[in-house]
This record gives sequence, C-alpha cells and structure tokens, in this order.
Amino acid sequence: MCYNTHMNIIETSRRKFLQGSVSLCIYATSALSSPWQTTKTSNKKTTDTPYLCNMCRNKCAGYARVENGLITKLNPNHNFPKSRNMLCPKGNAGIQAIYDEDRLKYPLIRIGNRGDGQYKRATWDEAYEYIKEKLVKIIDEQKDNRSTIAYCNGEGFNKDEYIKFFGSKLGSANFLDEGSICLNTKLGATQLTIGDVGEMDVAGSDYMIISGANRYESLITPDSVDMIHSKQKLVVLDPRCTVTAIKADEYLPLYPGTDLAFCLSMMYIAFKEELYDKKYVNEQFDDFEKLKAHILSQKYTPEWAESKTHIPSQKIEKITREFFAASNPLYYLGRRSVWSQNDFQLRRAMVLINALAGSVNRKGGIIFGQPIKLNDEEINEPLYNNAEGRFDLDGIVYGSQKGGSWLNFREKVVSKTAPYPVKAMFIRKHNLMQNMPNIAKTKKMLEMMDLVVVLDTMPSDTAMMADVILPECTYLEREDMVVSFNRLEPSLALRNQVIESLYESRSMQDILKGLGKKLSVPLFHVSAKYDEDLQDSIKEDGLHKAFVEGGYDMAELYGYNTTQRNKRLITKQFGKEVYNSLKEKGVWYPYMDEQKELFNDFYEYYPPEKRFYTIDKKYRVNAYLKKLEKAGFDAMPTWHKYYDFNLHEDEFRVITGRYVTTTQSATANNVMLKDFEKENYLWINNNNAKRLGIKTGDSVVVMSSVSSIVIKANPTNKIAPNVLWIPHGFGIDSQEMTNAYAKGASDNMIIEDKFEKIYGCATMHETNVTLRKL
Amino acid sequence: MARYGMALDYKNCINCKACEVACKEENGVELGAEKHRIWVGGNNPEGAWPLLDMASASFLPSQCQQCDDAPCQEVCPTHATYYDENGVVRVDADKCILCSYCMNACPYDARYVDERTMTVDKCTFCSDTRLARGETTTACQNTCPTKVRTFGDLDDPESEISELLRTRDHFSLKAHLGTKPKLFYLT
Amino acid sequence: MNFIKKIIPMKDFTLKSLMTFEKTPLNILMFILTIGLLGAFGWGVIEYLIHSHHAYNVTREHPWGLLIAMYIFFVVSSTGLCIVGSLGDVFGFKDYMAMSKRAILGSIVTILAGFAVIAFEIGHPVRMLIYNVLSPGLTSAIWWMGTLYGIYLTFMIIEFIFLMRNDMKNARIFGLTGLLVGLAAHSNLGGVFGFLNARTISNGVFYPTYFILTAFITGIYLTYLMYGFRYKMNFPEEIKKGLIGLAKIQTLLLAILMFFETWKMMTGIYGGMPGRADVVEHILHSGGFVYGEVLCGMLIPFVVMLTTKWKSINLYVYASFIGMIGIFFMRYDLVHDTQVKPLQMMKLTEYQLPPKWIEYFPSAAEFAIGFGAIGIFFMLYYFGQKMFDLDGGDH
Repeated sequence: MCYNTHMNIIETSRRKFLQGSVSLCIYATSALSSPWQTTKTSNKKTTDTPYLCNMCRNKCAGYARVENGLITKLNPNHNFPKSRNMLCPKGNAGIQAIYDEDRLKYPLIRIGNRGDGQYKRATWDEAYEYIKEKLVKIIDEQKDNRSTIAYCNGEGFNKDEYIKFFGSKLGSANFLDEGSICLNTKLGATQLTIGDVGEMDVAGSDYMIISGANRYESLITPDSVDMIHSKQKLVVLDPRCTVTAIKADEYLPLYPGTDLAFCLSMMYIAFKEELYDKKYVNEQFDDFEKLKAHILSQKYTPEWAESKTHIPSQKIEKITREFFAASNPLYYLGRRSVWSQNDFQLRRAMVLINALAGSVNRKGGIIFGQPIKLNDEEINEPLYNNAEGRFDLDGIVYGSQKGGSWLNFREKVVSKTAPYPVKAMFIRKHNLMQNMPNIAKTKKMLEMMDLVVVLDTMPSDTAMMADVILPECTYLEREDMVVSFNRLEPSLALRNQVIESLYESRSMQDILKGLGKKLSVPLFHVSAKYDEDLQDSIKEDGLHKAFVEGGYDMAELYGYNTTQRNKRLITKQFGKEVYNSLKEKGVWYPYMDEQKELFNDFYEYYPPEKRFYTIDKKYRVNAYLKKLEKAGFDAMPTWHKYYDFNLHEDEFRVITGRYVTTTQSATANNVMLKDFEKENYLWINNNNAKRLGIKTGDSVVVMSSVSSIVIKANPTNKIAPNVLWIPHGFGIDSQEMTNAYAKGASDNMIIEDKFEKIYGCATMHETNVTLRKL
Repeated sequence: MARYGMALDYKNCINCKACEVACKEENGVELGAEKHRIWVGGNNPEGAWPLLDMASASFLPSQCQQCDDAPCQEVCPTHATYYDENGVVRVDADKCILCSYCMNACPYDARYVDERTMTVDKCTFCSDTRLARGETTTACQNTCPTKVRTFGDLDDPESEISELLRTRDHFSLKAHLGTKPKLFYLT
Repeated sequence: MNFIKKIIPMKDFTLKSLMTFEKTPLNILMFILTIGLLGAFGWGVIEYLIHSHHAYNVTREHPWGLLIAMYIFFVVSSTGLCIVGSLGDVFGFKDYMAMSKRAILGSIVTILAGFAVIAFEIGHPVRMLIYNVLSPGLTSAIWWMGTLYGIYLTFMIIEFIFLMRNDMKNARIFGLTGLLVGLAAHSNLGGVFGFLNARTISNGVFYPTYFILTAFITGIYLTYLMYGFRYKMNFPEEIKKGLIGLAKIQTLLLAILMFFETWKMMTGIYGGMPGRADVVEHILHSGGFVYGEVLCGMLIPFVVMLTTKWKSINLYVYASFIGMIGIFFMRYDLVHDTQVKPLQMMKLTEYQLPPKWIEYFPSAAEFAIGFGAIGIFFMLYYFGQKMFDLDGGDH
C-alpha cells in the first residue's frame, strides 16, 4: 500500500515540477499526503542489511529490514563500538527520509528565476550537457583559472572523494566545508596546543565538565551514551537549562560567552593552590611559567569570574578542586558551532586545563589513540598552471587549509574584493541558504554565479537557487567507501546498499563519473588553449598521451564501481575476512569475537587492556603560541573587556542550538520528526517576557542589524535573562519542502555575519537584538 | 508461555524520543502527535534562573503498563481487549466496536484510536512483530541510546528483568489503583 | 395494516392525515424545528460517513463527547418517562393512570432517538450487535447497559401494546418488568462512570443512584412539556390533578437532588485530594454547572414550584422547559467532567504548558447529530400521537 502511494506521488510531483504551478502544489499535497506513512513489520524473519546511518554526522551502524522491496525498519547494529547498539530518533526516522514525497527525483534545469522554484525535468545527459556548456565558457573566459569554480560539501562521507574530483582533477583551490561554521576552532586549538586533534575519552573519565555542549540533545556517539553509563560526576555550564543540564550532577547557569572566564579562573585556582599535575607539567609543558605568570598576574580570581559568569565563586573553587582531585578528569571540549571572538582561546583554555590535570594521552582524558589507517586510492593529478590559490584565508591567522572560511570567502565574493571572480559553484549536501549567518548575503553570492549546481536529496533552500539540480540517492540506496572510525576503540565500518536507488537518483560516485566523462575532454581543450606546459606536452607526446598521462581523465577513479573498489581496497589491505565482516556485519574491529554483553543489550567491545588509552607518542603542550603574538593576537587565553556580557535592559543576545530531533536543516522535512517539533520557538526568560507582556505562543518580532524574523515565544525559566535561544533548522523557504515550508523562523536570517580571525569561523553567539510583541 | 514485563531505569532517560519513533516504525503506528503507543513525559524545573530546582525536572517514559488486572480489559463489552498467552494486554481489532470505554478506563492514557481500522490500539510489547519472529527485544528497548528498558519474562527467575527486580528498588505507576502493572520503574 | 391493528389498536389514519396538522403558530414552529433538526441530523450523518470520527472533536484524552452526553440525555429521558408511566399502570396511583400511555410512548421514542445517536457514536454498531452476543463481556457495564436497554425497549413496546389494548393486567406485568430492567439498565449506565477507578470524580456509587433520581426528575419535566403541548395549556381537570401531583413530587425530588449534589461536592472537595478536589473546584467554577445545572436544572423549577402553591401549572410547563435545559447540562457536564482531569500530567513536547484541564468543544457534526436527534424524537412522537389514542387512562 505504502509503495503504491509513492508511485502516485512520482507522477504528481513530476507534473508539479514540470508546470511549476503553485496551485498544483497545494493540490498535490492535500490529495496525496496520507496521514499514515509507516509500515508495520511482518512476523517473518528476514536477512537484514548492515548499513551506516547518515541522518547526522555520527554515522551510527544499523541493520535495515526490507520487505517486498520496501524498507520497513531500521535497527541498531550491536557490532559497532562507536554507536553502542543504539539508534536515535533521527536514525529511526531515516525511513521517512528515503520515502519523503518531496525528495529530488530527477535532474532538473532551472526555467524560472533563481529561488522561485521553477524547473523542468531533464535527463541526466541533458543536465551534464548543460553544465558542460556553461563550464567550458566560464573556464575559457577565466583563462583556465580553475579556481573560478568553487565547490563545497557539508557531508562527511565521500568528502575526500569529492575533493579529489573538483580539487585534484578539476583543479580548483576553492573548497569550502562546514568546518568554518562549525568546530574548526576546537580542532585547531587542540592541534596547536597538544599537536593532535585527539579524541575525548568520556567513558573513562570520572569527572567531566561540559561547557555549552548539549550532549543529550545533540547526540554524539559514543559520548552521549557513555555519559549515562559511566559513573562520573558531570558538571554542566550553560546559559540555557538543556536536557544535559537537567541530567548533570551539577548545573552551573552562566551568561553566554563567559565560559572562558570560568576556565581562566579554574587555571588561576590550580596555579594558586598548586592543584595541577606537577610531574606531567614538568615533562610535557612548554612555556608553563609564562602561562602561570600570565594567569596569576591577570588576577583571574574566582570572585573576578563570578562577576563575569554569574557562577558563585565558591562553586568555581569547589568544582576546580574536585576536578583536579579526580583520577581521570575531563574538560569536554565540545563540538559545535563557534560562539564568539574568544572561541579559539576558550577551546585552548579547555585543552590546557586538561593538560594541567595530566588528562592527555591517558584514560579519561584527551587521548591520541590509534586509528586504523586506510590506504588511499591514488590518482593521477593534472597540474594547472593558471589555477590560482584560495583567497578565503587571507587575513586569517591559521584557518583550515582544507575547508577554508565560509564567511571570509562569501564576503570577498560579494564585495568583489577577491583576487579573481568566482563564477560557478558545485554544492553537495550543504544548505548554504540556511547554514550560515546573514542569509541575504548568501543569496546575493549565489545570484552572482554564472552556474550553480546542487547535488542533494532534498529540494532545499539552496537547491532552489541552483541552475541544475542533480538528485543524489540517499544513504540507504548506495554503497559508500569503507571508513575508519575512532581512536580509542578503532574500527572499520561499511555502508552497504540496502535498496536500489529510487526514481532517477544516483550515488555521488555515479554522478561524478557521468560529469567526469562529459567534462574531461572539453575542459582539457580549454587548458590546452591557455596552459603552456600542457601545450608542450601535447607537442611532445601527442594529444591522447598528454590527456591520459597528464591525468585529465576526471572519471579515472570510477573505472570500477564502489563495491568493486571496496573489495579491492579492503581485501588488499586487511584480507578477505575483514571484507566479509564488513559486508555481513557492516563492521570490523580486531576483537569482534570477544565482544561481550555487559547488561541489557549493552556491550563491551575492546577488552579494557586492549584500548589505546596511552600510546607512545612524542608531543609537547604549547602554552604559548608565538605565531598568534606576531599576528597581534593573544598567545595565551586572555579576557578582554568586550567579552563581558553587558547588555542594555531592552537588548538581547541570540544564541542557537538544536533539538534532539533535528540535524540542522537536513531533517526539516522529515514527517516523523515533525511530529515532535513542528516549528521552532523563541526561548525567552520568563521575567523578561512578563515585562514585555509576552505569553507562550505569542508571535514576536526579533530585529538585528541584519534583518528581522517573526517567531512564536516560549517564555521559560530555563534561560538566562536577556538571552534568546533560537533552535536552528526551521523557517525553511523552499516551497517544495512541503512539511517544512514557512514553519518557524531561521536563526541565520538575523545572526550577524561576524567571524573570528584565528580560524575564520562564523561567530554565532555575538548578535544582539531587540524584540517586540507582534 | 511467558509473563512479559519491562523494567525501566527511567532516570537514565534523556527524552530523545528514539523509542517513540522506533515503536511507530516497527508497528506501523500512524503519524500524528496524538497517535503514540509510547511516550516520554517531562517536567519543567521549578524556580527562577539561575536558582532552578533541578530535582523537579524529570523524564518519565511511559506506555501501556500491561496491568495484570487491567481496567481496560474489564470494561470491554466484547472481549476485544484480552490477555494473550504471554500476559500481554492486546486488542482484537475484529471485535473492537470503538465504544472508547477502555480509553476512559485506562488510568495511564495508554490507548488511542487507530484511524485506519477505527479501533482502539495500544502497546503490544511488539508481540505481533518482533516477538512473533522470535526476537527477544521490543523496538523501544532495542533502540534506546541509554538502554533504559529491560524486557523479559517475569516468570523466569533467571531472566535479566527478574534479577533486576530482585536487586533494585522499584515502583509502579498509580499502584494504589490495584491494576498490578507489569512495568516497573527502577529507582 | 389490519394485522398490526389486531395486535395494537390504532386510530384510523391515512398517509395524508399523518402529514396534515392544524396550522397554529406553535405547530408550524415545531414543524420547522423538526424538519431543521432532522436535516441537521442527516447532514451530521453524512459528515460522519465521509470523515468518520474526524468529523468529531473527540480526542485521545477526551474520547467521549457530546454524542455520549446526548445518548445519556435520551435514555435518561426514556427511563424517567417509564417511571412516570409506571406510576399509574404499575403502582396504581389513580391520578397518573391517564398519563401512562403518553409517557410510555415517550419512553419508547426517546430511547429510539438515543439509539440513533449512539449508532453514530460507536465506531462499529453492527459489530457491536454481533459480538455482544458472541463474545459477551460480562464484567463490562457497557455490555449490561446495552443489553438491558435492548430488553427494556422490548418490554416497553409490549407494555405499550397492552396499554393500547387496555389490557391493564398484562400491561402491569410488562410495565413492572420493563421498569425494573430499565432501572437496572439505567443504573448500569451510571455504573459505566461509577466503575472508572482512574477518574476519582466519577468513581463510586454516586452516578448509579443519581441517574435514577435525575431520570425521575427528567420524566416529570418531559411529562409537563408533552401535556403542555398536547392541551395548549388548557388542561382538563383529570390531567391537572396528575400534573399537580407530579409537581409536588418534582419539588421533593429536586430537594433531594440538591442535597445529593451538595454532598457530592462537599465530600469531593474535602481534604483536597488531587484529581477530585481540584476537579470539583473546576466544576464549581464552570458556567455549565452554575447556570445550567444548578440554576436551570434545579433552582428555578424548584423555586417556581415551591412558591406558587401548586396552582400555576402553566408556569410549571415553562419551568420544566428551563429544567430540561438544565438536564442537558447535567448530561454534558457529567461526560465532560469525568474526563476533564488529564491522566497524564507531564509535558510531551517542550512547547506545551503542562496539561491542566482537557479541553473539548463539540464539532458541528456532533452538534448536528446530537441535537438533530431531538428532531427524531419530535417526529416519532408526532407520528405516535397521530397513530395512537394516547388520551384517557384506565377505563
């Protein structure tokens, strides 16, 4: 029955797209959306397919049950050390992502204006042809400067392969990913302070402090699970009383952006009372005395911290003493969007606190571990002499060479201050129109492009800005390349294909293969026109040889399909048994045979003595970063006056986050998850609300210097005064997302596009707004 | 023949709703906020920021309590509600006349109307899905990130649930009503 | 026809005579009202057939709505009229002999109207008939109530036949049995609520007894209305006597009811037991209770009857009309108040205030079917009057 319903929808949706008629849209949804879209599993045994989830960045392992070609249930895979035999609500609702009526089904070419959603259905070849013609023209105009084509990817899986295609093969330097609107400061701070990004051993820690990371609503495996099962003391700092705060042993409400003051004070107390691990400090620290002198001389006393954070000084003292007295304390570094200008130094302060406690490279701390290294599939990379370098890290001290800085990039493009024009963008699973501050500016950037190509599964706000939409299949319809996970209990996991891809959607590999075949020769000829080295080699070796040996075949990687590539790669490196395990169980790690149930479907994976708590590795703790000092920034964590949370009575600070049932904007249209939160509400302190006459459900206008939104209010005692929390992932503007369109409001409409200068990361919590009842 | 029950280590519940989605997908429960076999209730902390009374904020996963002495079964005029061979309170949709008496009689708000069959539906402990094909867990128990639920045979002294109930303090919801629930909340 | 007439004496009538009536303003009003109500009923049924229970505003937390209330309204009316009818032919009170026929007809048509409502409330009425027999739930008050009302209706019809045949001996036998079955059925209906352990406001002995008391009261109100309409307020002496007697009984019954209610509320609120005291308080603050039940249902008729020295029959007819409005609120409130306290008191989503009181307001289709059934009552009663000679009691 369910299947038939979907067949109907294909037809209707096709008409919908072809005619681009609004009235038809309404007709289609009202007539066809059935109130029930779940399928009861049968009482028959089936052989379930192991897969890896893709509803968020975690990649938990599951088994998919298929009956009559229809996925009826997704179950957790107990073999995977990382996901600990669980699936979250989103993982369970993955079925609804596959069978979403609004999914992108066919290649589409724009016939209307950007953003108005009018597209015509095209064949894959027509779509490739369209892209080819535009690209040849653009690259010709830009005299073979391949970097005129920017490309981005907001999806962890297949990212490296995507970079190989557009970076190595096509030759563009302008790759952007979610890192600069996410956690790059944390990665950078750890890398620069202890030489490795490491991994946090939550399960092994007996005392954990979390600043702002909402691990019980923004689930991370295995951290979220381990927090419940380990008998550690949990201390949570947050301006908002989250579920994590509720579950904590101690909740310390504080003002937003003042976590650094708390950290500085912890260090102050540790130095003053000599609580730190002297042996560790002696062995591992560089510039320890500089740090100590700095913290003490700045007088970051608990009383000082109280004045900044609102946390009572005795509490700060008590927590600090308990932390340093614990056997395996961990200051959890978080993994989420960057808050404010001090974010890099905040994360560094956290790393330094862990280091002062000796909680590095040991159980319960930041561990280095031993990830399983997968061999790379080598390809032949052409050299483009006319391809220029990236410009988005100009003015950024460190920055990620891989994913760059979105806001700096966008600013330079929009203000036309980039050294060369960016003319085209390839966007894969990256909802630019929702994911970064100041949506109007993103729109402007996309409008400046001669060609925008979107690879996605859903008609997102960003897809609606594309010239060509290429429908990618969802994670259950494809096999992906094997992936190595984790450091403490490392394992390999494979996303097996569960069902044939629906409609005309294709895997990224197949899309790139088709694109590569279409583009390689025409683009090669453009290069031959401008690239002198290539001209020489054509002269020497002839056209064909220059093409092949120069690595210009963009589809080189795709001579074999993913299944064949996996088999070759895994069998060659690890042997047949590992491959079989990955195919049959979806997972492989060395001690699978010894996996034992501890209780109630909860397992022990690596025997404790086999875990990589401590490895033999030379590293230093860098308390002082000279490069920062040279660039005119703080070399050590330091408080500045402008970090103070000090607002006028009528001013509010916007902070963001998300529900446990949403993954940013990616799950916005999921009909199952929508049952829990149909729209987002603005959290406002109940006393503030009372003063403004705002009641639950009242519509309020929130105004920033960028724009304004209208959103329903949720007056609550669970948030600090003069702070507003806007859950992210709502206020979708694409009418093709019928479950999500115009439900709630988008935080990024009003968040100002500021970024910090150490990593070029967007600072999400620095926007002050005013509001009034509508 | 077993006597199935469930023990809930409810203080481990983080209100993530995974169980609710798993239940809906496994058992083909209709979408819609009112149509749920299981749910998680939450209390807002009392007090004013920053002095919040965290002890007053709690999460309580709930569902049909699978009473041994079920009011819903007693009030059913056509025996549509019955105990199956494993002591699970079930509804025979063919016999249900939708008088809704059971919905009113259930002290736990555990029943709702399935709009497809227009009969009353409720938690079955996955009896006609997972258990019917020989699995030993319910969908909610299996998927739970923090493994709140332990499902098993109360008559088997060797079962994990029996062991838990012997060793951990527990209570039942609205025990004073004499419904003898087979859901046990561990403290 | 002749065969039927052999069983039950009827007036001579033709289809045409059934369809014609004296064109007084009241009759015309009643005609339009009846047609309107029947139309509403028909529309409601169509709505229900198209949208099934979606046409109703009942929810998971409030599964019983206006239709259950109207069903109770009609069956209480039926039981009440049965009691009034029994006064003469069963218990032999001479003053009420003349009323038996009309009252028993009334009890038959009201319960038929009630069944018409419940047929569209119960999700599967045909299935009910089958499994009520094949798979009887003997512990269920609904089973007993339904089954007994079925038997009751049979006895009422038989009693009516004997009444029309002026076979008072048999009428008495079936009348008595019918009355007992009816009272049993009716107290079972009270038991449907009384058994609800989880609903402390309704649980216990109150409703089964209260139902019988209020049935009697309803019966008297309706008798007044039927006679008021029959005689256009010019009552013959023999009827007058009976009606005055009924007014006296009514006053006593209302006094008892007021004590019942007072003590229910007092014991309910005492001690502040959650789920009971708070609900009582909620009830005491609701307009339906204060204006509907207390003022219309009890106080106004009570005061009118008590203060007019048993002389103003015409006034009592109007008081009875007001009383029936009160009776409606009693039925509606009884259903609503039983469910008004949520059984699940925690928030299920973040943006929900914790559940406090369950909200319910009937949908258009519920109004149409529930009140439309009054049209069925009017229609059946009209035809009954036309077909049977209801005047005159024991001869």
